[in-house]
Amino acid sequence: MTAAARGRVGDDIARTGVAAVLIVAAIFLLVPLLVTILMAFDSRSYLGPLPPPGFSLRWFVACFSRQTLAVGLRTSLALGILATAISTSAGTAAAIALERGTFPGRTILSALFLSPLIVPPVVIGFALLLALSQAGILNGFVRLLCGHVVITLPYTIRAVSASLAGRDASLTEAALGLGASERQALWTITVPLARTGIMIGAIFAFAVSFDDVSVASFLTDPTTYTLPVALLSAMRANFDLTIAAAAVLLMVATVILIFILDRAVGFDRLVGQGMFRT
Amino acid sequence: MPLALLPAALILGLLLLAPMAGLLVQSFRHFTPGHVGSDVGAPLTLANYRELLNPAIVGLFVETFRISAIATLIGLVVSYPLARCIVRRFSAASRVACIGFLVALILLSMLVRTYAIELAFGSVGMLRPLLRAFGASPNSGWYIQCLVGAGLLHYLIPLSTLMLLGTVQSVDPRLADAAQSLGAPAWRAHLSTTLPLSRPGLIGTFMVGFTFSISAFVIPMVLGNGRILFISNTIYDRFSDIADYPSGAAISVVMLVVSLTAVGILSWLAGRPAVPE
Repeated sequence: MTAAARGRVGDDIARTGVAAVLIVAAIFLLVPLLVTILMAFDSRSYLGPLPPPGFSLRWFVACFSRQTLAVGLRTSLALGILATAISTSAGTAAAIALERGTFPGRTILSALFLSPLIVPPVVIGFALLLALSQAGILNGFVRLLCGHVVITLPYTIRAVSASLAGRDASLTEAALGLGASERQALWTITVPLARTGIMIGAIFAFAVSFDDVSVASFLTDPTTYTLPVALLSAMRANFDLTIAAAAVLLMVATVILIFILDRAVGFDRLVGQGMFRT
Repeated sequence: MPLALLPAALILGLLLLAPMAGLLVQSFRHFTPGHVGSDVGAPLTLANYRELLNPAIVGLFVETFRISAIATLIGLVVSYPLARCIVRRFSAASRVACIGFLVALILLSMLVRTYAIELAFGSVGMLRPLLRAFGASPNSGWYIQCLVGAGLLHYLIPLSTLMLLGTVQSVDPRLADAAQSLGAPAWRAHLSTTLPLSRPGLIGTFMVGFTFSISAFVIPMVLGNGRILFISNTIYDRFSDIADYPSGAAISVVMLVVSLTAVGILSWLAGRPAVPE
């Protein structure tokens, strides 16, 4: 066999191998979700093998009548909205200041602002628990809010910084050169440029807050707990299909969030905007 | 320093840096079994760190790092061709649909993900008959490890793929074409041009995936079925089961140091700053 022919055989093997890997990956990513959706409509009263013999909405009814889930959902929504509002305002201000400023220590500061991303969330939760107890802050909601502001802040800073990076300086300079005041340049150039970043940051901040278990586990009290914490304890107590119904509802919520994200920003921009960068 | 930085700096200082300093102090406090946390003004000691040399705790670190490293590597091997496929092969419409699906998977609740994997592949899942046919039990140690790995991968694959899109896009496809026109088969051409050029992106993606994995909490808790614990789970157990805060703090400090070291080494390897700007 000639070298070229060997190369072609190698190409065929490589191409088949890659195709196989991609198909297996697609199946692996999709099948668990499909199984969950299917099982959520199971009409049996126990957890049986696939496929379900009949379909019903009984698990959704059970899910809606679970008191702990309703309480958790209410806390999670309030917490998510408040934490997002706080970290989006603080994060946007910080990102704009970092991007426009020329003061010493800028790079160290921006690295520091993103540091909550590399500290394990359990460590953040544990450290906060100790500190807040020592400071005498015992209110569950306030504690949770403190934790969620910390873990959502880096997302808003990163998203806003990315939307400004490299574009703001020259445009601001042009505006100033044409006679605009610093304040006018801020409101007519920088803030509109940052708008996409603010949207992306806020959506990610809300999603992070709404999904967090690691930090919240340390900061809940018996009457104030989030939806994920309630779901986790329900999951550990009994593995019935009420959770599957709740999971399907959360999937629907994710799909809604994705539509908002697409409408507001577009996925192409999302990747380009540096939310997922190395 | 501009005033606009103040709110974020206050949040970071009061709610992250100061508590971390407190955690460090707590890790040196003497703990009396039966108490909740250390007593006020308890004497300082190194006992909490000495206890970590216990083989069980060392094993815990090794287990967490081993499973995380393997899962992150598998994630890269799958994600790299997937990212290439999305960038170079797909039409504009299917590219957007695919990216949308991956972003949805990222935003999907971690609990939903783990529950779905437990339901599909867990001890009651649909692989059970298949496993039985091969004489394996869905409760055996290696299978539970695979299950935890699968839980990590369900997040790692979409994350790594999205992160690698930029890397793949910035590699000029004409280089591989040139190598091929000089007689190299396609696989050799990619191995010697595309892959080396993607190195910083691959290392950076590995770093982000690895830090996510070693700090995983829900995935090992649910899928590990009590048989596999990650470091995060042990910290939580020290807190909730025996209220031994000093020991939990010592494990936290070591975990933080080890993961920061890993991040440092990897970003030095990638030749980039430790934290993305």
